[in-house]
Amino acid sequence: MVELVPNLLRQEMARLAEQDARIDGRGQFEGREISLETDCLYNAEGSAKVTMGKTVVYAGVKFEIRTPWPDRPSEGSLMCGAELRPVAHRKYEPGPPSPESIELGRVVDRGIRESGCIDMNSLCIIPGEKVWGVMIDIHVLSDGGNIFDACGLAAIAALRTAIVPAERFDVGDDYTLSVNGTPIMASFTRVGGRYVYDPCEEEELGGDERIHITIGDEGHLHSLQKGLRGVFTPQEFAEIFEVAQKKCAELRKIVAEKEAN
Amino acid sequence: MSQGRSGAEQRLVTPGMAIGPLSGMRVGSGAVTHNGEIIATKLGWVREFNGTISVDPISSPYLPRSGDLVIGTVAEVRNNLWFMDINGSFQGLLPMSLAPWKVEFGQARQHMNVGDSALARVQEVDECHNVVLTMKGIGLRRLSQGAVIEVPVNHLDRIRGDNNSNLDRMKDVSDCRIIIGENGRVWVDGSDDGIAWAREALSIAKEHGHKDNFKSIMEQHEKKLTKKGDA
Amino acid sequence: MGGYGDVQLLRDDGLRLDGRKLDESRPVTIEAGILPAADGSAMVTHGLNVAVAAVYGPMEAHPRKIQRQDRAVIDVRYNMAPFSTSDRIRPGFNRRSREISKVTAEALESVVLVERFPRSKIRVEIEILAAEAGTRCAGITAASVALADAGIPMRDMIVGVASGKIEDTVVLDLDKAEDNYGQADLPAGILPNTGEIAFLQMDGDLSPEEFDLAMEYNFKAAREIHEIMVDALKARYDGGDN
Repeated sequence: MVELVPNLLRQEMARLAEQDARIDGRGQFEGREISLETDCLYNAEGSAKVTMGKTVVYAGVKFEIRTPWPDRPSEGSLMCGAELRPVAHRKYEPGPPSPESIELGRVVDRGIRESGCIDMNSLCIIPGEKVWGVMIDIHVLSDGGNIFDACGLAAIAALRTAIVPAERFDVGDDYTLSVNGTPIMASFTRVGGRYVYDPCEEEELGGDERIHITIGDEGHLHSLQKGLRGVFTPQEFAEIFEVAQKKCAELRKIVAEKEAN
Repeated sequence: MSQGRSGAEQRLVTPGMAIGPLSGMRVGSGAVTHNGEIIATKLGWVREFNGTISVDPISSPYLPRSGDLVIGTVAEVRNNLWFMDINGSFQGLLPMSLAPWKVEFGQARQHMNVGDSALARVQEVDECHNVVLTMKGIGLRRLSQGAVIEVPVNHLDRIRGDNNSNLDRMKDVSDCRIIIGENGRVWVDGSDDGIAWAREALSIAKEHGHKDNFKSIMEQHEKKLTKKGDA
Repeated sequence: MGGYGDVQLLRDDGLRLDGRKLDESRPVTIEAGILPAADGSAMVTHGLNVAVAAVYGPMEAHPRKIQRQDRAVIDVRYNMAPFSTSDRIRPGFNRRSREISKVTAEALESVVLVERFPRSKIRVEIEILAAEAGTRCAGITAASVALADAGIPMRDMIVGVASGKIEDTVVLDLDKAEDNYGQADLPAGILPNTGEIAFLQMDGDLSPEEFDLAMEYNFKAAREIHEIMVDALKARYDGGDN
């Protein structure tokens, strides 16, 4: 999975950063064009497809009935995983799940879980006996840069439009899963020395470390992750946190608009 | 090379499609013979030229040929050999003896290290597809500045234009040095604005290179930079 | 397989449960070039099945042990997404997928001009996003279109089709209920321009005459779907020439 980074690319990134420019012409904190589709996977109880520039990801929500943990008899469970399969890019060689794909799944999982948008008690069917297990599976089909934000968006959009399949399991009527809030992830990568929002493929190749920030409806932080080699200052973080608030609000609106239709 | 598809009826074919009877015609690239018929092996346009039928493919992997000018990136330096990624199935090998510098044994990295880009030529390709590169030749050198942009191999002729007319115009408008590598890589060097413009121009070639209106789209794009210069 | 007596698959009017005639395929749509990161790609919907294929290559064949000195190997990964079926599929090694990957690769190696690329490999990544009987066929079709989209030379494309038997009647293109409660399933990969067969599997119970009829239906479907494949590839590049 180690890609060859051309030195000329890094030089160009540094030059562009100096002039406040990006390789694809965007502003420092400007995102790429986004498209969001929901209810697009026939066998999933909730689903979403997100494209951000050249990145294409799907998220599917599946429900199962399980016995609750003995110490939490009325709580259901939420599990979020991501697969970064060879389909997504030439650089992804076949093999067991890579640290990258595991990290991706866990970062998206934390963002959704810690926002508390799913009340685990609401997933109870019969206390001590039956609870719902909610599983979100994210499938990256094309890695064109910033798969984190695309996956985060797909996951929450799929969750918010999910229908609990009570009829199929004979425990009642189907109903819409109750999701309170829309946690959204915003990612930044250091390119040519400064942080940019929503890196494209070339920027990730020629760039350095990245930071993923998940923010909830109230503007609170729900998860953070810094990845790859590099360091940042508290001032740099403060700046991108402010930008993240705005970006997350924008994406939250996109999810809301999709639901309204 | 064809710049447009006007004039003779241009047929778009898919792999397996029969193009016509063999009868006296030669079979060029993108096609094979089967039971006395010429069959397309690629998605592309049928071309008949001098008694040879071939298919001009829409897209194609880069297959190195002896003599090709290529832009490569050093992937590995070992035993005084540079292994270069040249956008093909296999890396190209640049031996010490074919480097443009006098290299002391063990000093290869001083001249060119991993990640460096260079202009080289394909010296030879053997039947196992091992590629040997050379940097002995006019203009072959390490590229220490500028940008390398990838374009589909099949659009290179379009980007050049008849007698390099399109390429010359691009150089003029952007005021940049532009060198086209046969391996689908283009080196551009000049002002930041010029490089940015050239990037966009090549992106347009990638999207629209196969279309009839490619020329007019390019002309539109050219106006952008000249306008900027006027402002 | 096996027939469960209480499910009626053929209606009294002679049509199937979903209203199809005995020799009628489910609707098929195909789009080429849908994955920007891949060298070639395609999405095929066949009934409710959704198959996506991405092609990368040719590239050096790694690991060394799979490399062949005289030709390219086609490295297929057929995978069903966890959300593709009614009951979620645990991600991880799956024997059925492994087998389908192998026979699909062998089918594709029969049409791709692999001798042109010694010591190389061509990666074909097939992902099933929704499954309703017939995913391996949709996968083969998607792989063929993706290979053509990538500019990999082939002497023909392969169309994935299947026929079967329900209630002692041979029918074309089994859907999920018919596959579950039917008596035979015959998926095939057919070369539309030569009529050769590069992929063939079967399970159930078919007499020689039933087999012949099933293959006849398969060839019919192959002709129909091939046209859709060609249109999908042409649509990629024809549009905008005016």
